[in-house]
Amino acid sequence: MTLAMRVGGDAATPPPPVVALRGVGRTFDGPPEVEVLRGIDLAVAGGDYLSIVGPSGSGKSTLLHLLGLLDRPSLGTYHLDGIDTGALDDRDRTALRGSRIGFVFQAFHLLSTRTAHENVMLAELYRGTDRLERSERATAALERVGLGHRMDAFPDTLSGGERQRVAIARALVGRPSLLLADEPTGNLDTENSESILELFDELHDAGLTLVVITHDETVSSRAGRLIRIVDGQIAGAL
Amino acid sequence: MATGPIEDRSVFFLRDLVNEAIAGITSRPSRTALTALGTVLGVAALVATLGLARTAGNRIVSRFDELSATEVVVTPANQGGFGFGGSSRTSPIPWDAQDRLERLNGVAAAGTKSDVDLNGALVRAVPVVDPTGATAFSIPVVATSGGLFDAVRAELATGTVFDAAHNDLGASVAVLGPAAAQRLSITRVDNQPAIFVGDTPIVVVGILADVQREPDLLNSIIITDGFAQERFDLSAPAAVHVDTDIGGAQLIGDQAALALVPNNPELVRVRVPPDPASLRERVGEDINALFLLLGGISLLVGAIGIANVTLVSVLERTAEIGLRRSLGATKTHIATLFLTESAILGFIAGVVGTSIGVLTVVGVSAVNTWEPVLQPWLPITTPLLGLAIGVVSGAYPAWRAAAIEPITALRAGG
Repeated sequence: MTLAMRVGGDAATPPPPVVALRGVGRTFDGPPEVEVLRGIDLAVAGGDYLSIVGPSGSGKSTLLHLLGLLDRPSLGTYHLDGIDTGALDDRDRTALRGSRIGFVFQAFHLLSTRTAHENVMLAELYRGTDRLERSERATAALERVGLGHRMDAFPDTLSGGERQRVAIARALVGRPSLLLADEPTGNLDTENSESILELFDELHDAGLTLVVITHDETVSSRAGRLIRIVDGQIAGAL
Repeated sequence: MATGPIEDRSVFFLRDLVNEAIAGITSRPSRTALTALGTVLGVAALVATLGLARTAGNRIVSRFDELSATEVVVTPANQGGFGFGGSSRTSPIPWDAQDRLERLNGVAAAGTKSDVDLNGALVRAVPVVDPTGATAFSIPVVATSGGLFDAVRAELATGTVFDAAHNDLGASVAVLGPAAAQRLSITRVDNQPAIFVGDTPIVVVGILADVQREPDLLNSIIITDGFAQERFDLSAPAAVHVDTDIGGAQLIGDQAALALVPNNPELVRVRVPPDPASLRERVGEDINALFLLLGGISLLVGAIGIANVTLVSVLERTAEIGLRRSLGATKTHIATLFLTESAILGFIAGVVGTSIGVLTVVGVSAVNTWEPVLQPWLPITTPLLGLAIGVVSGAYPAWRAAAIEPITALRAGG
């Protein structure tokens, strides 16, 4: 019924944290040179539900990009599932991103000409899964997020909350180590937001590792852990 | 657990690639159609041009084939050096030219043809001078061995033509061309009318209705070589006309000189029809040049069209590119996807354009009741040309798409 989540490890040795940032800094080349992040130390264990908050311009988006392997740190190291991502070339980083990280975006990023089911199937497109299995997994993922009855609907005919559920199903279908959500409720009304947050709670209860970036208190309050980024540094953990 | 990511290396199966590319193309059908229009028109123009040129060329050649391609004419090499009157050099063509040539395989008919010099003598139909009207005419006289009638494909209106036996005997018989017969007021031959060339009487045995070659025969009095030799001092035949079997003209052209003058074949000149293949090529070249240029220009415009719209589409699909990158697509995967889309688009445009071009050729041919002819390689090559145009014009947009950073892409539309 639930998706098997990759929490990894055997019983004898404790699994490495899903995310381990050590002394991470990110500087954008100038002029003027801008230091967006500095001295970030962060560990996210398997099954954690972490939210990252901070005002705009604080560097939290940059942190999300680093975590999602969309960007490289200028300083420090980033281990994902114990793999030193700094040592990987672009191809391997892309492969790692595709297989171990699920993204959920504020703008959903669904393809408008594909059905919900086809959109979810896209997730496995670059991973060598055969088409039939891809289809089955997409079906399972959509059922998991409660959209088993809207498989063949096009995004235009779905509500905002349903669209975000499709996007979450797409992120889940590859059984990622880490679900990265960037303002997942930013485009949703209160009611839809609440349903998404309930879904996150369920996924967390099932053992999924979640990192949610938001400036919305109602979102961040649901997480088990919260860190605040101010001026590129972790200002406090609650 | 600490497995390397190598086992997870991103892949993109060909079938998925094609499916994704087709989905990309078909998501905006009207735009896709307009994008392909330039290439469709270019390919159609190209196919129609080449096909119509070939059809027209074939038609010209086939008309040419019917008559001229079987005609071989042998004349002395030094034109004008032989001739009339005893003082000039004698033509090297032997009297038995007809026999010599008819022995060759591929000759349907052969006959000599020589203008007879009458030294100003006039021709009359009756021996009595009628002072009240013009009864004597200046009509050319032609001497021949009997085979000429078949060689020029003469049709008889009445009577008969003379044959080799008449010729050998030097019989004083004549066949009149229709115009000559009219001037001499001879319409029937069953009463064996006589004409007088100067003072020489000749019996008219036949009147021609038409000839398909050598139309001067229509206004001539045709007599036997033997008689011309005996009474008009014809020294040698001036020319030999040969009607060959279809396709035999080139071969007979090679053999005729040797058959006629084995010791000195260079003394005669053999005129053969142009080789049909080279003629067809020449006709094709003339017609093609301009339209090929036009077709080429529209192809170029078509390629620019595909490049332009694909580039716009890349910019519009920035978010999709970012999404695919976040799902594990490499830059190569992105570039390949866009390149495949434009390649498929180009190929479809090539197929559609080729179809339109072929239909145009068939349509124009049908209206003109021509036989449509198309180079067999053409309908195979032009869709591939479309494919190539798609690849070339998609290259730059694909490169641009691959260069888009996923971070920028994912912010777009946010």
